[in-house]
Amino acid sequence: MKRVALFAVGLLLVASTAMAAGPIKIGLMAPLTGAWASEGQEMKQVLELLSADLNARGGLLGQKVEVITEDDGGDPKTAALAAQRLTTKGVAAVIGTYGSSVTEASQNIYNESRIIQIANGSTAVRLSEKGLKYFFRTCPRDDEQGRVAAQTIQKMKAKNVAILHDNTTYAKGLAAEAKALLKGVKIVFFDALTPGERDYTAILTKLKAAKPDVVFFTGYYPEAGLLLRQKMQMKWNVPFIGGDAQNNPDLIKIAGKEAANGFYFLSTPLPKDLPTKESKAFVDTYKKKYRNAPSSIYALLAGDGFRVITAAIKEKKSVDPDVLAAYLKKGFKDDRGLTGRIAFNAKGDRVGELYRVYKVDAKGNFILQK
Amino acid sequence: MEEFFQQFANGLAVGGIYALIALGYTMVYGVLKLINFAHGDLFTIGAYLGLTVLAALGLTEFYGAVIGVLLVAVMIMGMLAAIGAVLDRAAYRPLRESPRLSAVVSALGASIFLQNLVMLIYGARFQVYPLDILPSTSISLFQVDIPVVKVVVLAASILLMAVLYLFVQRTRIGTAIRAAAIDQGAARLMGIDVNRVILIVFLIGPALGGVAGLMVGLLYGQINFTMGWTYGLKAFTAAILGGIGNIPGAMVGGLLLGVIEALGAAYISIAWKDAIAFCVLIAILIVRPTGLLGERVAEKI
Repeated sequence: MKRVALFAVGLLLVASTAMAAGPIKIGLMAPLTGAWASEGQEMKQVLELLSADLNARGGLLGQKVEVITEDDGGDPKTAALAAQRLTTKGVAAVIGTYGSSVTEASQNIYNESRIIQIANGSTAVRLSEKGLKYFFRTCPRDDEQGRVAAQTIQKMKAKNVAILHDNTTYAKGLAAEAKALLKGVKIVFFDALTPGERDYTAILTKLKAAKPDVVFFTGYYPEAGLLLRQKMQMKWNVPFIGGDAQNNPDLIKIAGKEAANGFYFLSTPLPKDLPTKESKAFVDTYKKKYRNAPSSIYALLAGDGFRVITAAIKEKKSVDPDVLAAYLKKGFKDDRGLTGRIAFNAKGDRVGELYRVYKVDAKGNFILQK
Repeated sequence: MEEFFQQFANGLAVGGIYALIALGYTMVYGVLKLINFAHGDLFTIGAYLGLTVLAALGLTEFYGAVIGVLLVAVMIMGMLAAIGAVLDRAAYRPLRESPRLSAVVSALGASIFLQNLVMLIYGARFQVYPLDILPSTSISLFQVDIPVVKVVVLAASILLMAVLYLFVQRTRIGTAIRAAAIDQGAARLMGIDVNRVILIVFLIGPALGGVAGLMVGLLYGQINFTMGWTYGLKAFTAAILGGIGNIPGAMVGGLLLGVIEALGAAYISIAWKDAIAFCVLIAILIVRPTGLLGERVAEKI
């Protein structure tokens, strides 16, 4: 027993000395379990591919890059613990995470530990309004999304609009943004459903009684798919518009092609609609390795977070968070991001107009609307 | 008025499923005084196995929708009964003589284990039942549109519950189950093999939970590995509402909870739907601490 203990101590010593000279560590905080596990697992796969590629090309500043993943379970409480674990592991920066309420629980922990955080799917406005020095995000914000949503609804010449959210930080925020921006239309319905359920007929029956011309649902794709399917079963054909959390091919699987036909949603451009060579090449390598194309744009936005921070470390030849944060906010520009051109403003938000309107066709394809 | 009946029907359809899952909680609690937290995950496993069996064997194409689905349901009940027996042997039986809290912790552990097992085997992405297995016709009753599938599901739930009730009330094994529920020690003295009774309870409960999983898959299409949590919680609430340990109570509690939720969502607020349901639960428990039908403790189950 003693010998085993001695051996373990020896191993630890070897490990710690190896760490001193060791690789540059990038943290990934992602929902590997829980309701959004499919998003998180794709985020992990994308980062694995990108880091392997970077290491194959000689690494960063002559060192290997290592991705350290922690599971946030898609849950704010778990995220706070995951963030605390990551801060003790000597990471230079953290990529993630997906849900806004989850990111919010971890923001201050990273900021106090002077670790740069690049969120990939958290679009709630208030995340970057707190004046946190080390917070960035590669996804756009909900005020822009709300603006595009309001434009789209007004273009459809709807008079009575129903808005449905699911009480998460993100969905509620987006619903409120859109509501404030919708001028000259009547909001006939504004309420929240409970995510994670299967039967939404009670909610749809109530929605139908409010007689809206269009329904804007700001929640996530599993519920959106069920709403579309049950709406068709009720033989109610009001148009639905969804927010960017509904951009996922599984939506079509859940709703069925017939029910999803004609559904509009807002999103940052999909990988297939990106003009750059780099994103196409990346999607191809991803397909080769994991057999199917990435289904989520947020996984690619996480990939962009990784590319951004490693590019900054390379350019500044430093892992000092102050140097990197200053550089990312001023001077950094990347024209070849997986999701298009990337630059940040002084709040750490990504600049540029990113939202597009998509429509689902009869075959279940996502068609970009001009 | 039309909307009221529509919402009432919506609530009954959801409530039938709650009731079926609640039976599993109630049976185990009646005999063991243990809340089997893994029951929701057995329900999930039922939904996933149902999808696998449907896709792999193609029974619905061969025998037609009705017989095919029935066959699948029977197979799922068999498989889940086996899993339930294993669960009892691995997680609960070694703790039979330990304090009751140990078994509860073991149940929580089993729940986390099973949930992650499903995720590792089937993946984290949503799985979807084929759309066109069951016909999508609906009947109109008093201007209310009710899909036939939902009527069938509700009828099947009530039928299963009735069979179970008769089994427990009228057969020798049922009598043994009731005896063990009242007093395990005394039952043992009367020559009843209590461990065998508990095994039977763990065959029946998970089988019913598994069928409920299959029904949810067929009805709503979308399944994922966390689905057992929401349904489990609601069914547990239903079991308490009706009086835990009582079979007709689980039936009444489930249907009532479904209807309260639907009407609460319709006339008060959708966002507060769950809060309303839990307020009703608290109100009922204040007036009747043993639940709606849980009056005579001695006759539980």
